[in-house]
Amino acid sequence: MNPLDTKTKNTWCPGCFNFQILAGVKNAIAKSRIKKEDFAIVTGIGCHAKIFDYVNLNGINTLHGRVLPTCFGIKIGNPNLNVIGFAGDGDAYAEGMAHLIHAARYNSDIKYFVHNNQVFALTVGQPTPTTEIGFKDKTTPQGVKIYPMNPIKLMLASGASFVARVFSDVQQIEYIFKEALKHKGFAFIEVIQPCLIFHPESYKEKFYSLDEAKHDRTNFEQAWKRAQEFDYNGVDEKTKIPLGIFYQIQKPVFEEQYPQLLDLKKKKISWKDIRR
Amino acid sequence: MKYTILFGGEAGQGPNILTNILGQALVKQGYHVFYSRDYQSLIRGGHNFNVLTFSDKPIHSNESKIDILVSLDEDTETMHKDSLKKEAVVLKGHDENMYYAGRLFKLLGLNFEVLEQELKELEKRFEENMKEAKKGYEDERDCVCQLKHGKGDAVFMNGNQGISEGAVKSGLDIYYAYPMTPATPVLGELAEVQEEKNILVLELENEISVINAGIGSAMTGAKVMVGTSGGGFDLMTEGISLAGMAEVPMVIYLSQRPGPATGVATYTAQGDLNIARHSGHGEFNRIVLAPGNPKECQELISQAFYLSQIFAIPSIIISDKHLGESFYTIEEKPKITHSRKLASMMRYNSYEKDKEGSATENPEIIKENIEARIKKNKEIEKETEKVDRVNVYGKKHSKNVIVSWGSTKGAILDAIEDLDVEFIQVLYIEPFPDIKKELEKKNVILIENNATGMLGELIAEKTGIFIEDKNKILKYDGRPFFHDELKKEIEGRLGK
Repeated sequence: MNPLDTKTKNTWCPGCFNFQILAGVKNAIAKSRIKKEDFAIVTGIGCHAKIFDYVNLNGINTLHGRVLPTCFGIKIGNPNLNVIGFAGDGDAYAEGMAHLIHAARYNSDIKYFVHNNQVFALTVGQPTPTTEIGFKDKTTPQGVKIYPMNPIKLMLASGASFVARVFSDVQQIEYIFKEALKHKGFAFIEVIQPCLIFHPESYKEKFYSLDEAKHDRTNFEQAWKRAQEFDYNGVDEKTKIPLGIFYQIQKPVFEEQYPQLLDLKKKKISWKDIRR
Repeated sequence: MKYTILFGGEAGQGPNILTNILGQALVKQGYHVFYSRDYQSLIRGGHNFNVLTFSDKPIHSNESKIDILVSLDEDTETMHKDSLKKEAVVLKGHDENMYYAGRLFKLLGLNFEVLEQELKELEKRFEENMKEAKKGYEDERDCVCQLKHGKGDAVFMNGNQGISEGAVKSGLDIYYAYPMTPATPVLGELAEVQEEKNILVLELENEISVINAGIGSAMTGAKVMVGTSGGGFDLMTEGISLAGMAEVPMVIYLSQRPGPATGVATYTAQGDLNIARHSGHGEFNRIVLAPGNPKECQELISQAFYLSQIFAIPSIIISDKHLGESFYTIEEKPKITHSRKLASMMRYNSYEKDKEGSATENPEIIKENIEARIKKNKEIEKETEKVDRVNVYGKKHSKNVIVSWGSTKGAILDAIEDLDVEFIQVLYIEPFPDIKKELEKKNVILIENNATGMLGELIAEKTGIFIEDKNKILKYDGRPFFHDELKKEIEGRLGK
């Protein structure tokens, strides 16, 4: 048995793209050579959150929208942990929006994966802040009237030091997990994830790789331009959706600016080990 | 002997420094001092005042009538003229607050050296302050009393300092908060000592983040406290429910001000007893403690940490603006309960979880989990029987019994000095002590700084004893009780 496996029965829909994310994450963790105990994972509430039940790592399946403050608290409690957050688009962009902007500001060393299926799936199909105009469900019989938000632009504007988008595919997840882990600071990774039941659009024909397009990820203007290529409001024949790392720079990391935390890192201990 | 001095002026004129200097000096001479602050929600201008009462006997509250009025601005005298005693002295007509310090010390018969010592400790503007103080000391010709010079070793501190010191002595590692009056001073007190004490003090984007970050840190085994007032506490309640479910130790400082909503930002009230007891959805255990002075702040916060650690539950320590920002003379050393850090990183969950820590919907496991959590109630009850869950003062076995909680303690103690009445101060709101026997067949008087008598409701719920409306002394104008006024209220309700 893979030490990362749990005994919990998987209850995602057959063929759900969450399986791809799960496999990619497990592969990346196994290959990282980091000890299991040195990871902490935090999930929100929704289909994505079941990943907590399928990866045998410490952490918490926390409240809806609160993945980032919880990740932050864990990182402050023990800065030696590799803290990975998973959230849905409801968690990240609706309930927990304020935390997202501030997480980008704080630049704490947290890796944050947003499973964006552009729909509230587990509550059976309501629109989220990234759902396109015209989308209809039982709660919106007149169709969505509000323009979706663009999280990539939001993160760039908020000062995030690592902004990426990938598709929910094993290799892409594995690649970006590795890159995010290498990055020092807050890493925002949006995972485009079709929901087979409530939002099946896969955009498959529209993707292109930023790396192959020779995109300069240290250039903010370029990143900003690329971010505008896809506005989340449906696609037409001209739409192109960039995948990969939009932007990555080195900024002061939150934990490295407090002598109290630097001391914990230096001694490889947590507050729990401090006797008073 | 007992004197009450009011210092009034615009915000920014420095009535606090002046009150502090006199308060500290008097405590060092062996006197008992209490002072409260009344200030508006503004930065400059307006009318702020402090009331200082001192005595050669213990004092824990203010008298409503003033012996000496220090008027730093023109409005103070007009606004407080109805509170002046007949023979009251009014000091006014000068710009410099240290000039008044000089006059006051002379007026009270204190040596100038006592004031000089305080100015030295103040450090800032020593030369200028000395010049002004000397001038005031020389100008003053009157004498209100001849205070004796002595040696006092009591500590002069406010409730927020009690909370901060108590938390540090209890082994605090991390404090998270978002500024909200009247809890904000704890953020400042702790931030100031964070490097010296090797703790971390962080201000986050809102109270939701504060409580959830607190839970994250507590999961790693750190000793964590968060602090706020009622409005911020409302936002924290989802996290309190989470701490209950995930079984994470967490201490929450709730400093009350009048509500609902924004209420009255810089004034006092005891209206949050019910939310402290009932916040957070679902059934889970919690501790709710209510200190009545800065010494109890220290003792109870150490018990809050202890109980949170032992039982992996949230503990709420509830204070208010009056207790938090008023200065008390503390003679005894607080008894600190020490605790270990018992939480550690594992698989926590906001969902009901199985043995592996994964979410479960299995009815047997759900039932088992809930029973395991509820079962702690009995153990908590047993553990807390070891400490005083109430304090009892006044005349033992009197047929009259006052019950109250929190910051009303001071005024009650001062009011009942020579009355035929017993006073039961409830320290443990949750788990609530069994006080049925003490109240049965007695003339029970309820005193609270709120409009509905929340402790009275709690007593009725737990003991079946209903306190008559005519025996409820409730004050809800944002101001604390004055002991002389309270005494009259109590006297009118005593059984013959």
